[in-house]
Amino acid sequence: MRRAVGSVPLLLMLFFIGHAKETRYSPPGKPKLTSCRSPEKETFTCWWEPGSDGGLPTTYALYYRKENSDAVYECPDYHTAGENSCFFNKNDTSIWVNYNITVVATNALGSNFSDPVDVDVVYIVQPHTPENVTVTVMEDKDGPFLRVSWEPPRKADTRSGWITLIYELRVKLEGEEEWEEHRAGQQKMFNIFSLRSGGMYLVQVRCKPDHGFWSEWSSTTYIKVPDYFPRETSVWILIAVFSAFIFFILTWILNLKSNSVKHCLLPPVPGPKIKGFDKQLLKNGRSEEVFSALVVPGFPPTTSSDCEDLLVEYLEVYTPEEQELILEEGKDLQEGCLKSKGSPSDSDSGRGSCDSHTLLMEKCGEGEGKEEKHQERAQKGKRQQKHQTGWEEGDVSHTREDVLSPDMSEGRVKTWPSVFSPLPQYSSRPLDHQGSLETARQLCLSDSLFPPPSTSSHLSYNAKEGLALGSGQQEFYLGKKQTHPSNPQSQPRWHLQAHSDFNISSMDRKQAASGLQLPGFRSTEYVEVQRVNQEDMVILQPLFSSSCQRDGHLQIGQGEDYSKVKGVDSGNMLLLQREVEVKREEEDGDRYSCDIQDRVTESCYTTSTAASSQVTGKPTSCAGTAMPVQEEMVLAANGYVDQNITSVH
Amino acid sequence: MPENFRSVSAVWVGLVCLLFYSRLVRVGAAPICTNGQAGCHILSLADLFDRVIQHSARMHGISSDLHSEFEQYFFPSKNHIGRVNRICHTSTILTPNGKENAQRLAREELTEVILKLLVAWRDPLWHFQQSIAHHHDFNNFSSNKALEMSDMVHELRKGVEKVAEKMQMLGIISNSVNSLTSPEALIPSDRAEWRLMKDYVLLYCFRRDSNKVQNYLKILKCRIIPQHEC
Repeated sequence: MRRAVGSVPLLLMLFFIGHAKETRYSPPGKPKLTSCRSPEKETFTCWWEPGSDGGLPTTYALYYRKENSDAVYECPDYHTAGENSCFFNKNDTSIWVNYNITVVATNALGSNFSDPVDVDVVYIVQPHTPENVTVTVMEDKDGPFLRVSWEPPRKADTRSGWITLIYELRVKLEGEEEWEEHRAGQQKMFNIFSLRSGGMYLVQVRCKPDHGFWSEWSSTTYIKVPDYFPRETSVWILIAVFSAFIFFILTWILNLKSNSVKHCLLPPVPGPKIKGFDKQLLKNGRSEEVFSALVVPGFPPTTSSDCEDLLVEYLEVYTPEEQELILEEGKDLQEGCLKSKGSPSDSDSGRGSCDSHTLLMEKCGEGEGKEEKHQERAQKGKRQQKHQTGWEEGDVSHTREDVLSPDMSEGRVKTWPSVFSPLPQYSSRPLDHQGSLETARQLCLSDSLFPPPSTSSHLSYNAKEGLALGSGQQEFYLGKKQTHPSNPQSQPRWHLQAHSDFNISSMDRKQAASGLQLPGFRSTEYVEVQRVNQEDMVILQPLFSSSCQRDGHLQIGQGEDYSKVKGVDSGNMLLLQREVEVKREEEDGDRYSCDIQDRVTESCYTTSTAASSQVTGKPTSCAGTAMPVQEEMVLAANGYVDQNITSVH
Repeated sequence: MPENFRSVSAVWVGLVCLLFYSRLVRVGAAPICTNGQAGCHILSLADLFDRVIQHSARMHGISSDLHSEFEQYFFPSKNHIGRVNRICHTSTILTPNGKENAQRLAREELTEVILKLLVAWRDPLWHFQQSIAHHHDFNNFSSNKALEMSDMVHELRKGVEKVAEKMQMLGIISNSVNSLTSPEALIPSDRAEWRLMKDYVLLYCFRRDSNKVQNYLKILKCRIIPQHEC
């Protein structure tokens, strides 16, 4: 009883122990061959992974069978290659033979076979890493470069051609993440270019047989590249410096020539050059102000003395032979007094003949020299007389149109000197011819003939057939013209010099006396400026009906002379003197004095401002009526007066 | 004017073409060393070896590709492979299975082995290529490879024969190699065997044999012409 009771705990213990063993111990798990590798194609090693050991010490065994052979061999070496490995040495290794390898795990409870693996050594070659990797820095003309050299792994027999290895290396800068890989083929040397100056490089090499696996990367080799200056950078720096230099020079030149460049690129826009034109006013948009601003007080010249300077008045005399004489070069004469004096700078605007250099303009202030001028004019007048004689011979009609030269239409008037230039031609005139002409009216020709319909305001002598003493109105066309600048005597006045001798008949009678008057202006008359017609022609009338009327001797038909210029006063007034006609009529010495003073104000030769010119006639004082003709001549010599013409309108 | 230009340019083009053609004709052929020049022979042997080795390497590459294709499509299970009894018809040819064994062989024997292998594979590969061409399972790429492989074996054999001739001429090897060129003598009774071979086994066997050929050629070259490349 007691033994049965005592064995129960023992049985229980055994039962428990046995139970425990069964739960903990089991046959080993299935091992697994992981890989087989051959480093040089002469030996190879296989590794397996053991399964669960089942709690019991498990032994592993590797068995292999060669191709087409049923003999099973066990692994010759379990230790060389480490744990759970099998190393096949050269004697046991056959190339181009298929190995069927199996690992068996065995423990107390059982054994387990792994799956068989077929292995052909040729295809499992994985060499060792290349050895003796050396990196050196070499110098080249382009800069430094790395030369990497290595040796094949020691065990790989490449010299006999048993293994053919191809190599690969990789480089990277210290600190970078990505490697730069290069295939080197079968060579054992490689050059690396394009290095960064002063950089630290890492180099690694590995190899592979032509049919096999890549080896592991060799241990890193560190190499430092020395500092150097890359050639490319130096070239770029040179180019940059050069370009900067050129740029600065160009900028400097541009600065210097900025004005001319600006002028070339952006030519100045010509603005309006109208005198008195104000752009600002125009921009403001007030046209009235703009146009009112255009009205320059000095323009057009009206009765100002400027006009006098500009005006040159002429007396046209129609002489058929003297057509050429009267021809005017004209150009310089054409310009009228369009501009007030004193505007020299503006080149674009129309410049009046007043400002022309070619035209001599003498202002009013030249009264001092008038005397001399008068004398000269008188002389000229004498010469003119010769022309007049010729003219007298010819057509005395007033058909001035025939005589008109083409220049006439422009209203050009010759200046004195130009008139006299052709004088020599006519110098050959016979004196007697002249003498006969003496009887004719003496007109102090100024210059060219003016066409009667011309727009120019001119004083032209309108001599008619019956002019001689019987003529009616005599129209004097004052030609306003500027004298030739070369003419020292030129005066801006109109050369009225209307020493027309209307009293032809009387002249005839006085031929003897007139002969004396040949050299000079024979007769002067009183001329009353009747009016200025619409063509700016100052019509002068023999003053007979004015104050001289009281004497009653003066009549129109009496053919009194009014064209005698007494003189020119300081006020630019042509003083016409009435000849002592009374002498002819009344030889009793009756005389009268006419206080007629003709004042013909100079009017600007302009078509547009005809209205502004006023011609007034004033009686000129009569100089001594009883004076002999010579006196008158003397007077006549001085008798050029700058006349102020005021319009009669 | 354009017409003149065209004619002139055509003339120029013709002249240039003529020039190039003449150049090509002259330089077309690589310099061939005639027999009797000692220095030229050695160089030419090395070039021949290199060319042959390259040829064999390409042949082996093609065979590897075809074999892996077969393995993917027809034998996905490795176990199935394991059970296949791979018996190559060239197993009767004794080939060195190791480096020492290969180095122990004489040059002539090594050359013979190479030639034997190449001869043994000419017919099977041709038939293989024929069967693949008619088989719809294979794409054009595989059939082209098989055809190329078949041609390559033929070319390689000729090349190795030339190398052997050269070596014999140079006195490097004896004249016993020529007797092996006859295909009939090599594999008289294996005809039935390789006809039964499956295509896969054929590819497997050929892949290995092409590797052998390449390796033997390299050994031969490095033994006869020692260079730093070996």
